[in-house]
Amino acid sequence: MKPTRTDFKGYEGKYVATDTRTGQVVIADEDLKVVLEKARKLDHVVVGGRVPYADEPIYVGLG
Amino acid sequence: MADKAPWLYPYREDPQQTRLGQPVFRPFVPVSLAADDASTPELEGLIDTGADAILASDLLADELGLDLADNEGEELHAVGGRTITARYKTVTLRLHHHDDSAQREWEAPVGFVDGWHSFGLVLLGNVGFLDHFTVTASRFSQAVAVEDRNRFDDRFGVVLA
Repeated sequence: MKPTRTDFKGYEGKYVATDTRTGQVVIADEDLKVVLEKARKLDHVVVGGRVPYADEPIYVGLG
Repeated sequence: MADKAPWLYPYREDPQQTRLGQPVFRPFVPVSLAADDASTPELEGLIDTGADAILASDLLADELGLDLADNEGEELHAVGGRTITARYKTVTLRLHHHDDSAQREWEAPVGFVDGWHSFGLVLLGNVGFLDHFTVTASRFSQAVAVEDRNRFDDRFGVVLA
């Protein structure tokens, strides 16, 4: 099975939802509630969360 | 899910981490949470065999209209070199099939964590997820298989301590 790739460039700092079949970002917004609401209306879409900035410190485990 | 083929999910890219400049792929599966008449859309759930419980962002509790002040217990967890507080509420969870509309539903306590806003809004740990399913993850095959929890004993026999 091939892993699902996603190009997150340009979405830093935003919450995103992706198409489960293609991995493409289909919803992006700085407000998670907006992403959740839009995702309800679409099939094959999963809400991922917030994309960090490149220089943002990342914790191991929960971010 | 009993007597059915495993549900297979390809590993998915995690934007949070890179390893030596290479993308990192993780065993994410689509899950949703529900309580009373409210539910979330499908969410990236990260399968984590090192986690004791199911943990989730407190933003999802807001989405479900849960009052976390009225919780079933609070626990401190040491994660990533820091301490977090999880407030537990029992909710309905749904695991969604990768390709079709099939889903598996069960109830489990979820620890909601304040200020957790990063990628992967749900962490699927031992109690609440890995005690409900047999999970086989393969970095080599870049996929994770989720099947009925009795499949482990069927395959390997009952392991006695």
